[in-house]
Amino acid sequence: MSRHSAIPPESFEEILAWLDPDREVAGTRYVQLRHDLANIFNWRGCRDPEGLTDEVFDRVAKKVHEVRQTYEGDPRLYFCAVANNVVKEELKKIKTQVRLDDAEVPEPIATASEKDGTLDMEECLQSCLAKLSDENRKLIVAYYAKEKQAKIDNRIELARQFGISVETLRVKVYRIRASLQQCIERCLERKANRK
Amino acid sequence: MKEESITDAQLREFLLGGLDDDTRQRIERLFLTDAQTKESVLVTEQDLIEDYLEDGLSKEDKERFVSRYAQTAEQRRKLGITKSIRDWAATEAKTPQVRVATVSVWSRFWTQLRSKPVFVVPITVTIVIAVVLAIVWLNSQRERRKHLAIEQELAQLNSPESLREEPPHMISQKLKPVNIRGLEPEPAVSPRPDTQIIQLSLPWIQKDRYPTYEAEVRRFDDDEPFKISNLHAESDDIIRVRLRTDILRPGNYQIHLRGIANDGTRSSDEEYSFTVND
Repeated sequence: MSRHSAIPPESFEEILAWLDPDREVAGTRYVQLRHDLANIFNWRGCRDPEGLTDEVFDRVAKKVHEVRQTYEGDPRLYFCAVANNVVKEELKKIKTQVRLDDAEVPEPIATASEKDGTLDMEECLQSCLAKLSDENRKLIVAYYAKEKQAKIDNRIELARQFGISVETLRVKVYRIRASLQQCIERCLERKANRK
Repeated sequence: MKEESITDAQLREFLLGGLDDDTRQRIERLFLTDAQTKESVLVTEQDLIEDYLEDGLSKEDKERFVSRYAQTAEQRRKLGITKSIRDWAATEAKTPQVRVATVSVWSRFWTQLRSKPVFVVPITVTIVIAVVLAIVWLNSQRERRKHLAIEQELAQLNSPESLREEPPHMISQKLKPVNIRGLEPEPAVSPRPDTQIIQLSLPWIQKDRYPTYEAEVRRFDDDEPFKISNLHAESDDIIRVRLRTDILRPGNYQIHLRGIANDGTRSSDEEYSFTVND
């Protein structure tokens, strides 16, 4: 169902102005908000997060001129409320779907094109790892050195070595991994566009 | 975190779709508007993915996880990326470090030389190779000295006194941390022929402030970064870094910026990237 939003340019400009008076900041907020809403749709179990995000922006675009005059508070909360309505409607539409409790959830199955992407993934991984600083690379290796119970002890020891809490260590590793993940996604996109 | 704090267990339930409507909506609102909550949610999500990949979820949680994280090709691609990072790290961790037993090798070598003169030719070849290696080593040392000299010049260029000056032939570029830039295109710098310095403005987005900061500038594909220490944040939490254009070849660059506390401890890195065009 993924579709492209068809927001009229004047409404789009108004949405940006509502998100922030500085157009550059507004642009960043817009991209981030789209990404965050797609995440929320994903966590709500919706099958087409991108399509539903377009739907939210389409709906807001139709009312932005009017709502903006009276709405008080962070505009992202208005988007959140619209997203909530969109999810409810989406869930009603798929009420015929088998309940999770009643069904065996299949293991994820990779398509042929996904399997073909293994080589690209390996190349992108290596190229992005090369961009990591030595310190960050060593930290990632040390963090994932152990699994299950040994993992917990290993991370406590690692946090002690760095003189930080385990919680701070988690955040530190998350940030490194998030930037690595973003780098790999961009690399895979570039490769896919070239094909 | 604002309002009543949210526990890790609640965040896991949120990600697996198991919370009541009120709590879920409260987390969603905070996720959109509060940077700290957003990071907590995303960190918990990474832990959840990790548990799934090492088969550490209960049957019920695994089913809930699969229904949210492994249904579409896009979701599976993201899982695949996380798995490849973990697999790489696990393999690296298991790879033993190669240690060269220099003393024993040399000891054996001299013993054999004394007992078997027929080894003279191979030894000569070995010596030639050693000489070549020495030349390579000397070259690398020369490169190293050059690198250090550039770092010293960069330190001078980025001293507080120098940063107060506005030199001619300088262009400026604002960068955003990679993790908040999202899908925006990478900023590009196009130096003119007369441009001598590029000034990069790096916003510091972490909650804690530090007396000094350290930046590492690395060209993608180059091994050794240029390190610039003793940088200071300005009143608007911007850290300015100046680079000479003659050390910036066209290509992609990465900057790792970290705060240095008075006791020498370092913050986590913020990463920035930019492209230098021809």
